[in-house]
Amino acid sequence: MPDALRTAPKVALQNRRWFPWLLMGPTLLILFAVGIFPFGYSLYLASTNIILSKPYLETYFVGLEQYQYLIQDPDFFNALRITLIFTVSAVFLEFWAGLGLALLFRRQIRGKALYRLAILLPMVVPPLVVGLIWKYMLFPNSGLISYYANALAGLIGIAPPTFLNEPGSALQTLIFIDVWQWTPFMFLILHAGLAAIPAEPYEAAEIDGAGAWRVFWTITMPMLKPAILIALVIRTMDAFRTYDQIAVLTAGGPGNSTETLNIWLTNLAFRFFDVSKGAALSLIIFVLILVMSTIFIRILSRTRIDEGE
Amino acid sequence: MNITRRRMGLLLGSSILFTPAILRAEAARMKAFEGTTLNLLAVQFGSHAALWAQVPEFEAATGIKVNIEYAPFENTREKTLLDMSSKTGRFDLFTVDIMWLAEYAAAGYLEPVAKYIADPELTAEDYDVNDFVSRVFSGTGVYNGTMYNVPFDCGTVGNMFRADWIEAAGLKVPDRFDGSFTTDKMMEICAALNDPSKGQAGYVTGPQRWFWGWMFTPLMYAFQDPAKAGNEFVNEAWEVTINNEDNLAALNFYLGLKQFTPKDDLNYGYGEQLAVYQQGKAGGSITYSGFIGEHYEGPGLDIKGKNIALHSPIGPKGRTDPFFGSWGLSISVDSKAKEAAWLFVQWITHKERLRKACIGGNPAVRHSTFQDAEYQAAQPWGAKLYDYMDKTANPDERIRVPEWAEISEIMGLHGNRAWGGEITAEQALEAMQADMTGAFKRGGYYRSGAQNPKQLWRDLSYYDRKPADWG
Repeated sequence: MPDALRTAPKVALQNRRWFPWLLMGPTLLILFAVGIFPFGYSLYLASTNIILSKPYLETYFVGLEQYQYLIQDPDFFNALRITLIFTVSAVFLEFWAGLGLALLFRRQIRGKALYRLAILLPMVVPPLVVGLIWKYMLFPNSGLISYYANALAGLIGIAPPTFLNEPGSALQTLIFIDVWQWTPFMFLILHAGLAAIPAEPYEAAEIDGAGAWRVFWTITMPMLKPAILIALVIRTMDAFRTYDQIAVLTAGGPGNSTETLNIWLTNLAFRFFDVSKGAALSLIIFVLILVMSTIFIRILSRTRIDEGE
Repeated sequence: MNITRRRMGLLLGSSILFTPAILRAEAARMKAFEGTTLNLLAVQFGSHAALWAQVPEFEAATGIKVNIEYAPFENTREKTLLDMSSKTGRFDLFTVDIMWLAEYAAAGYLEPVAKYIADPELTAEDYDVNDFVSRVFSGTGVYNGTMYNVPFDCGTVGNMFRADWIEAAGLKVPDRFDGSFTTDKMMEICAALNDPSKGQAGYVTGPQRWFWGWMFTPLMYAFQDPAKAGNEFVNEAWEVTINNEDNLAALNFYLGLKQFTPKDDLNYGYGEQLAVYQQGKAGGSITYSGFIGEHYEGPGLDIKGKNIALHSPIGPKGRTDPFFGSWGLSISVDSKAKEAAWLFVQWITHKERLRKACIGGNPAVRHSTFQDAEYQAAQPWGAKLYDYMDKTANPDERIRVPEWAEISEIMGLHGNRAWGGEITAEQALEAMQADMTGAFKRGGYYRSGAQNPKQLWRDLSYYDRKPADWG
């Protein structure tokens, strides 16, 4: 047997060993470039004292000092508190409003497709544009909403609403705008979830004489649980990271009453150009989101196990 | 007679002989960088429109293409610094606000320009650098003894008031620099113009946290004891001095104006406060002199011709704010076409181009423009600033340190909280003092052997050197 033929299987085996890597190569390369490298670079930045606008300052290794500085800063807890209030309030309201609309759309309504389209519209508008639209509508005195709200308040004889110009009302206004934009997303997922529930359990409940309230809590909600969890996971992550609207509408003000973690991060990294603190804060936010998503994923997988049982 | 005739003949002869050669040399100089593309990052101000409108003329004369990317004022610094620190040289030129010059120059992001000014190959013979108002030229462009930034806009912060309303209230209308507009007078006018029953506020300002650096600083200076001049922000040892009795009085005065401002103004920025004034819902507002032509006396505005442009008020101890605002053109140290970029800078800041721009709304920076009758007619409020910009304005009113942007933010955050009643004026100043000390500490000012910048605001003669002397 010629030598070439004797070695052929060996070559093929070697090729088989490398071939999958060759196929995965481009993906791994992209993953490294857009995921692993930036993450590693953030870790590096957070362990130094780089201020981009001051390249003349000596750069040295500071260990965990940046994390310590941030966690000891009262602004961190203020930003975390505002982020949590914003996220929990917005997602809570969006969930119930979205569920209400989804339940409403189970019924036969004339012009259903048109209404559905109208409801979904805010969701397709980019958040930056949403911010600008609301900024103009809430512009003091001359904005569409401000103008009529002031006129109405004058008629009733109450103080005109302040919208974005008082610490309390500014955060509430931002939450309202987020609810306006993202309730359609909740509606879309829950509507699809409701459509997937089979008719049999409802028919059985009707035969047993169960009331609407009982049907809702014992059939609809448990069977909708996977869709609810998916909607809540996505929206919570998203609301936690909201930036564009807040940056356009209040930029964190009045004072620091609407300064969420993302706004604070932007201030640190792009106003003060303290990229090391910015990187440390972004890693803290990453860990917070990781913890939240792990909790949600655990609940979701438990729900699937329960369903399986 | 014969000698004169001979001289005339010689002059005529040499003119005939040399003019074409000079013109050819000038044309060659202008065409030296044909085919080059320059990218300029410019702040988006309506008052600069007449300046940039001349760019096509430059492109036609030189064959250099100039791409201008405009950035809103509030994003200009971030965009500029991000580009500069990436060291890509994507932008060859930047419009630089005086308050950020120290930050960019100290970081080594700007190209020194004195060598280009002195180069006859790159600078027009009739550029006449000494025609720039000395303090404006030095104040706008010089950091640590080096010239980086050529001015094309300068001005001061002041107040606009409705002269017709003041007259109707039975008060005498003050004039800029006539000495009658004091802090007490300002309070009196604001009180007289305030009429909530008509939806009319006495005054409107921008207390949003991003605007305190230029809206509160003028009052801060007005209340300072002249004997302590120079110590407004820091003392000679760089210890922060902002938490002092004079500043407390200034902050209390500013917060006192709140009784005459719209009730929902806590998050008002420049745009919001301007809109309220333009709508005839406030009797006075704060502004930058460069904005008057467009925002207060612009065509189509109902308030046009009804305003009086005043300086910041004189404080109880007789001090006036020496506010100095300006914009200049700087070349990126990473530009790959620095000489072409300079050709553009010297062309656009030539006296003819600036004159044309200033008649069209751009603020004046050259003696020849300030003295020009057409400019004086187009911008009477600007022409009144000639002496002030030359002799009184302090280029370091917002102290020239790389930390200025951070200082301004710190003032804004705590000032805005005080405006909203969340904290007292005393607490705001304490917080400003602590945070500013932190900023200087991070900047390395307190390390042993630190090479801190000179505190040039203590001797303004530094800025009075003739522009040509910086070469």
